[in-house]
Amino acid sequence: MAARDLGGRPVLESVYSVIALVFVLVACAELCDAATVVDVYRLIQYDIAGAPFGSRLAGLNHHASSLHFPPGADLSRTVLVIPVRDLNLGYVKDYLSQRQPLGGLLFLLPQIFSFESKESSGNGEELLKNIVMELEQLLIHTNIPYPVYFAFENDDINTVLADIKRNDESGQPATATTGGYKLVVSTTEPKKVASPVISNLQGWLPGLKADGDPNQLPTIAIVASYDTFGAAPALSMGSDSNGSGVVALLEIARLFSLLYSNPKTRGRYNLLFGLTSGGPYNYNGTHKWLRSFDQRLRETIDYAICLNSIGSWDNELWIHVSKPPENAYIKQTFEGLSNVGDELGIKVGLKHKKINISNSRVAWEHEQFSRHRITAATLSELSTAPGLFENTGSLADSRNFVNEAAVIKSVKLVAESLARHIYGHQGKNIQIFADEGSLAVNPSYIRSWLDLLSQTPRVAPFLSKNDPFVMALKKELEEHTEEVILQNEVLDGMFTFYDSTKATLNIYQVASVTFDLLLLLVLGSYLIVLFSFLIITTRGLDDLISLFRRPPSRKVKTA
Amino acid sequence: MTVFHFFNCAILTFGPHAVYYSATPLSEYDTLGTSVKAALVYLGTALVKLVCLATFLKVSENESFDPYQELLKALIGFIDVAGLYFALTQLTHRNISQNHKFQAVGLGWAFADSVLHRLAPLWVGARGLEFTWDYILQGLEANANLVFSISLAALGSLMWLRKNKPKTLVPIIYACAGIVATMPSITSYLRRGLGWHFPKVVGFELFTSLAMAFISWQLFSACQRPSA
Repeated sequence: MAARDLGGRPVLESVYSVIALVFVLVACAELCDAATVVDVYRLIQYDIAGAPFGSRLAGLNHHASSLHFPPGADLSRTVLVIPVRDLNLGYVKDYLSQRQPLGGLLFLLPQIFSFESKESSGNGEELLKNIVMELEQLLIHTNIPYPVYFAFENDDINTVLADIKRNDESGQPATATTGGYKLVVSTTEPKKVASPVISNLQGWLPGLKADGDPNQLPTIAIVASYDTFGAAPALSMGSDSNGSGVVALLEIARLFSLLYSNPKTRGRYNLLFGLTSGGPYNYNGTHKWLRSFDQRLRETIDYAICLNSIGSWDNELWIHVSKPPENAYIKQTFEGLSNVGDELGIKVGLKHKKINISNSRVAWEHEQFSRHRITAATLSELSTAPGLFENTGSLADSRNFVNEAAVIKSVKLVAESLARHIYGHQGKNIQIFADEGSLAVNPSYIRSWLDLLSQTPRVAPFLSKNDPFVMALKKELEEHTEEVILQNEVLDGMFTFYDSTKATLNIYQVASVTFDLLLLLVLGSYLIVLFSFLIITTRGLDDLISLFRRPPSRKVKTA
Repeated sequence: MTVFHFFNCAILTFGPHAVYYSATPLSEYDTLGTSVKAALVYLGTALVKLVCLATFLKVSENESFDPYQELLKALIGFIDVAGLYFALTQLTHRNISQNHKFQAVGLGWAFADSVLHRLAPLWVGARGLEFTWDYILQGLEANANLVFSISLAALGSLMWLRKNKPKTLVPIIYACAGIVATMPSITSYLRRGLGWHFPKVVGFELFTSLAMAFISWQLFSACQRPSA
């Protein structure tokens, strides 16, 4: 006994440590064993002046159902899985406007909207694009009190959906007692993004100042806004709006930096390149950027050209102005552009939209310039002014719908007309940026930047202060221009955004509670049968019966 | 319902052992000590097997059936038999009849096997939300394994503990013991070489376990008669 005690304590301690280790292992053994795991992107959640919009919840833990659910079923604890291909927009509209309770919504997007797909756009895809755009506009402007997610179709999720449809059609919607599929997104509740930052970039190409000339050189500004806004901020790549504008601006900067690098070909105009943020929010960034100009700079700007969505047009572009077309600068700019357009086979139209000072809505970037009393015009393929959060580079705006040739032609148009104005060759038939020359527009430069932009979501509140993409743009501008300045501003307080834009969805195939109860019943009866069988074979039937009957002989004895 | 499922699979995997102990006269003669000792011997055997496998076997990338590797695994499997021999003959048991000794040893052996091989996957896997049939099939496999262990223990006790056996039955006893001992190799050949799915393999195991149990019962009662 004593020997056991002496050896007992270290043994006991090692036993305790083993037990502790076992407990730790047991606690961490939470494996993810889902049937399918999918990346999902949440609908944007934001407030305008306190009014809530978008999906207000992020966590999801409900059963899945398709659109073929039996009528009258209670869907308040179900997630509707809707592929966009079979979408009935009117139905969704009714559902949202009647504010019917729902556990969640999951939209499945065709692969053509993702960057990896290389399908070319045909007629069917244009229809899909319009449907997606309408859906986005509907979702963005509604207050939805449950989670809404987007996912791309792939084989796994298609089989799951087919299974769900089959279950629904056989009249058995998935609830806790009948089994089916469970969709789980475990993420923290969304929090406000504190002080969203918008970063404006500017680059300066100084012109050739003649010796002894005290006057400041005039400046021409070329501006494009680079940020986007869409229904799913993690998917708002905005290849056309305004990726095409950014790419065109970078290419024009590159071409003019080549021209200006040689003092013999440096023009008598300064060139100011601006990449602004805050575009969808009434061009808030442009406003703050212009406000930061000092008076002298503002007075030297002759005019500004803003580029907005120039990537998917066929043969017609529009110049939008807010000053009346009779204005001398406007006339000059328009004639220059339309002359070059005629040579290139592009029809350039002019549209005039007056600014309403009392209305805070700013539909075009040039309107901000006009409010700061700088002549400006916007070159765009859109013929009418977009409304709030329209054409801001959303889900439907993917790489497959952008035409590189269109961007290249736009670059040629703007660069030629600028160069003719700068070097005073208006009206002459000279091709400065001819193909096969050393100043030709570089298609692979345009393609690679367009591809990069189509893979980078650029919703301004979710870009951090030193976001790598903004730094990349800054570096690129530094290559072509001098004096690159990065200006960080806080977004106008009217807009509040909430985070949690991307999550992983686990799809589990669950068995119903009735199945478990049934299994318990079967196992219980199996064990009872086994027990009886073993007692009968080894001890005899009498022993089995004697288990249930108290022996009566004892009572007789005591009596 | 996930912990529920774990509970269900646990009683399927470990329930029969408890039922066997309590239903048969093993509980009356309090043979728990024997079962515990047999379980410990299984633990030791498993460790030795592990070391041998790690030393002599090479890891194959694909799931194909490599005869040489399987032969090696079968040879190492005979360490099991050696362990059972040790448990049956070398350990000191209280005075229990041979009849009960092999049952207790077989029970302890099977229980240790189930705990070692099936408890951890059950705990980690059956508690998740996702439902698969795997754990129920694993429980059925544990049942078959219990029957196999008891049959092997019966044949082992016939081979090593009983001195006067009818001559004609001896080769049959050794043949059956050989079949039961190489059962793991046979199932792995079925799964990998012939590509059977898990439910089919489990069905085969259940069937053969019942067949072997019947045969060994007949052999045991046949050998019982001369000494009775």
